[in-house]
Amino acid sequence: MKEMADSITIEQLHQKMNQDDSVFILDVRNPEDYSEWKIEGHNVQSMNIPYFDFLDEDETVYKDLPKDTEIVVVCAKGGSSEMVADILEEKGYKVRSLKEGMAGWSQLYVPVTIAVDEKVKLVQFNRLAKGCLSYMVVSEGSALVVDPGRKIDEYIDFAKQENVKIAHVMDTHLHADHISGGIDLAKQTGATYYISSGEMQGSDQPFEPLEKHSHIQFGAVDVEILAMPTPGHTPGSTSFLVNRKFLLSGDTIFVGGLGRPDLGGKAKEWAQSLYDTVFKKVADLPDDVLVLPTHYADIKEINENGYVGATLGDIRRSNEIMRTTDMEKFTEQVVSAVGETPPNYERIVGINRGTEHVTDQEAMELEIGPNRCAVHHQ
Amino acid sequence: MQADVIIDAKGLSCPMPIVKAKKAMEGLQPGQIMQLESTDKGSVNDFQSWVKRTNNELLKVEEDNDVFRFFVKKS
Repeated sequence: MKEMADSITIEQLHQKMNQDDSVFILDVRNPEDYSEWKIEGHNVQSMNIPYFDFLDEDETVYKDLPKDTEIVVVCAKGGSSEMVADILEEKGYKVRSLKEGMAGWSQLYVPVTIAVDEKVKLVQFNRLAKGCLSYMVVSEGSALVVDPGRKIDEYIDFAKQENVKIAHVMDTHLHADHISGGIDLAKQTGATYYISSGEMQGSDQPFEPLEKHSHIQFGAVDVEILAMPTPGHTPGSTSFLVNRKFLLSGDTIFVGGLGRPDLGGKAKEWAQSLYDTVFKKVADLPDDVLVLPTHYADIKEINENGYVGATLGDIRRSNEIMRTTDMEKFTEQVVSAVGETPPNYERIVGINRGTEHVTDQEAMELEIGPNRCAVHHQ
Repeated sequence: MQADVIIDAKGLSCPMPIVKAKKAMEGLQPGQIMQLESTDKGSVNDFQSWVKRTNNELLKVEEDNDVFRFFVKKS
């Protein structure tokens, strides 16, 4: 009888990445898809051999595979990795196949508590595969969710665990690289959904215009949420300053740089408002404010505490663009560094605005892959 | 385009379209053409990559009504 290799779930793989000194991943997708997007981690060693190379009886294919370490085989959806894992198992390798492959991996959200005291808890949800971050602020029985992803059960379950009710849901801007769970999460929990109305032109979805609020408070304590219009990435981008300590900066300021201003077709004008944001609106905030963005571009941005974030002081020091006060130079640098456009971004924007509707399956396929909203200006 | 063998891989997901393609190619003479039909979107990139690595020639890819039709010439 043929040997069948074991499988590993995305949660188990993530646990393994946290526990083991090193994790060996054999990615069997085609080299083009692999170079675009793969599982990364500080202790991940990854190798790419397409599954069809294993169909030939060619022993050289195996020459670099370790015999003494467990190999986790990964493909797009879990079918090819199972085939390769079975072949390897028969040859005596220690091997498991990642269930649901990269499609499953893209649905993993990891909650990390950033700060907690007796009154307020701030949690970052890291969607590792896409470099997407979202947040929950919990206080006295209520919760606020910022920039939720599509898998809204993550937030609903977390709120249940914390025994709190989600009362407010906000998007910092209309996302172009991933599908927002904001409207659905608000509908399902009875929460209010806030977004800047500049982002929602032509939408028939219910929302509370962010620009009508300078403060949003909830809980018995005074959790101050200050909506600060920070245009630049998109004209209606907003940042949230929580208790004057945490700046949920959306796609405006990242740990490693600034947001891309080109997705509305008016890169230059938007770059100038990004300039105003950095040197006028954010300039007044002290260096010890912790910046918590919606994306990161590199796993190196995950700090020693396990979350993505840095103080404004650190960001100002380490990103030259944050000190480039010459407006022309600033605009030139921001506009020239934009790189590839996120795939399907026009459709994703339409879905987030509520003007385009797709099935769950289509939604999943549309937003799969890496995020391309963060830009490095090194 | 006249194919020497036609493979139906519709409804099958990865890795089956390529597994079937490989088997069919083994039965062909150099210069002969295989036509394979697949409904798996992922097979488009995979076919291009596989054909390159096996030194065969991808003559054409057609798409109609969510069916992808690949024409591969054996070298």
